[in-house]
Amino acid sequence: MYKKSIIASLMALAATSSFAATSCGKVEIADMNWNSASLMANIDKFILTNGYGCDAELIPGDTMPTSTSMAEKGQPDIAPELWTNAVEALINRGVEDGTLSVAGKSLSDGGEEGFWVPKYMVDENPELATISGIKKYAKDFPSSEDPSVSAFYGCPAGWACQITGGNLFKAMNLEEAGFELIDPGSSAGLSGSLSRAYEREESWFGYYWAPTAILGKYDMVKVDFESGVDAEHYKGCISEESCMDPQVTMFPPSPVYTVTTANFKKSNPEAYQYTTQRSLTNDQMNMLLAWMEDNQADGQYAAENFMFTYPEIWSKWVNKDVKAKIDNALDSL
Amino acid sequence: MIDSSWLTEFPDMSRRELLAIRQSLDSAYRTFSRDYGESIENFFDPLLYFLVWFENLLIETPWWLVLAAIVGLVYAATRSWKLCSGVLAAFLAIGYFGMWEDTMRTLSIITVCTILSICIGIPIGILMARSDRAKSIITPMLDIMQTMPAFVYLIPVVMLLGIGRIPGVIAVVIYAIPPVIRLTNLGIRLVNQETLEAATAYGATPTQRLFGVQIPLAMPTIMAGINQTIMMALAMVVVASMIGVKGLGQPVLKSITNQYFTLGLLNGLAIVALAIIFDRVSQSYAKRAQKHLEGTENG
Repeated sequence: MYKKSIIASLMALAATSSFAATSCGKVEIADMNWNSASLMANIDKFILTNGYGCDAELIPGDTMPTSTSMAEKGQPDIAPELWTNAVEALINRGVEDGTLSVAGKSLSDGGEEGFWVPKYMVDENPELATISGIKKYAKDFPSSEDPSVSAFYGCPAGWACQITGGNLFKAMNLEEAGFELIDPGSSAGLSGSLSRAYEREESWFGYYWAPTAILGKYDMVKVDFESGVDAEHYKGCISEESCMDPQVTMFPPSPVYTVTTANFKKSNPEAYQYTTQRSLTNDQMNMLLAWMEDNQADGQYAAENFMFTYPEIWSKWVNKDVKAKIDNALDSL
Repeated sequence: MIDSSWLTEFPDMSRRELLAIRQSLDSAYRTFSRDYGESIENFFDPLLYFLVWFENLLIETPWWLVLAAIVGLVYAATRSWKLCSGVLAAFLAIGYFGMWEDTMRTLSIITVCTILSICIGIPIGILMARSDRAKSIITPMLDIMQTMPAFVYLIPVVMLLGIGRIPGVIAVVIYAIPPVIRLTNLGIRLVNQETLEAATAYGATPTQRLFGVQIPLAMPTIMAGINQTIMMALAMVVVASMIGVKGLGQPVLKSITNQYFTLGLLNGLAIVALAIIFDRVSQSYAKRAQKHLEGTENG
């Protein structure tokens, strides 16, 4: 009796595991260390686990190390939100070599980058909405450590935008205008400095990007560089560290892709099909991020909330069978 | 089956209540920082001026003058030409590889942090040694300071004081101060009871006993504590750079995220060089001070 039940359960175990192996198997998803990517990763985990029977696992990651590891080692399998500007050469080489596959746009609008000032400053002085106004009134942005210079909060050390932001800083001659490029060291440092200034209605001028909860929460104005977008120059010079003669250009929208390994595409065509469909607009993402921040949710909690609250968004990504499976899983959650 | 039995699942707080606690604490802190942030910032202003002034002094003075001053200080502290030439070689290499300015920045912030740690730490250590109750309160606080992940308290500090040197100094001091407190306490408690009795018999007041007998005899232990404090301060350089402290930490951070191995190695080695210099100089100074003490005792 006892023996029989053990054998039965072992058989059941073998059956489920072999089923899992044939249908999907183990999938590693890169969980990047910023909220929107973490939310995407958790949504993918939920859908792949419950809809496609994958054994999905989140692996902490960051743009550079994750894409290098995907191209070289084939691990992790999915990068749900990869800002490919930073690693374009690497991705292109990976696609050519047949190790990577670009599944689709995870943010359909693409990422938005720019230099921002708080709206209450622009309301007071509309000229601050343009870069020439910022330079003219540089004295309005005193650095807290040394009031004789003006503060420009740049991009955290090691991020790709450290190079682009630095080159634009040079191209705009902000240094001659009295600005100092401050390295906030980490994204927490950058957003901390912004929310500190905003809460006290103090001056702030620096680099930020969307979609982010911060830009959803605080009313910021993107500074007009009065140059338009010169995508070619941006790609050829501004994004290179060796750029000798940087010219002013607005940030072109950054493509944000879902990238998978070629292996994953080959062995899991159905799950791969889902990753090509899964996509959010910036408005949707801002809304989700603001909810996340207000409720202090982590990626997993936010993903569950998203699955519950917005079936009209995610049901477009999957077919009917999968949707029924996910609905089942949601009911038993 | 019962859906959630307390036998299989830990009877935890509901998500809603937990969320309410987290939200109310967070908004309370936000209000606090909005109301008092400015006055707290003003409180730290003198320290900030000193930090900026000291850093500018080190960077704007011609390099050979700074180098001469450092070697001079090392000689005054150690009287060892061998050590002096080692220090000279290390700084020349640092300058040659283009890390002079970053090294000066790190040197200035570490020096200020060390001085602050000593000024705050030794009196606390003495208090701990003299009162068991103080010891029982301070010891768990030191445990928290040494083990709490730095970013947990760095983010509130950034909300309050912004990014830059002051929050950096606070983070470094919190992490680096425990050894000097612990070892000052230990050193004083380890002073021979009979020696103390002899001092009392000669009519020494408690203050005289403290400064004339206990502290001088505890000096080797206290110096070991100071030494450890310096080492831990240098270890925090990279973490401090994550909230915008300029210096050797930023290139290290950059090389970690970009996998620039050489850049990381060079800057890491510069931090090691600083650490070794601080270590050897403070240790041989302590040894020399101790020798001098023994000399007067014998004579």
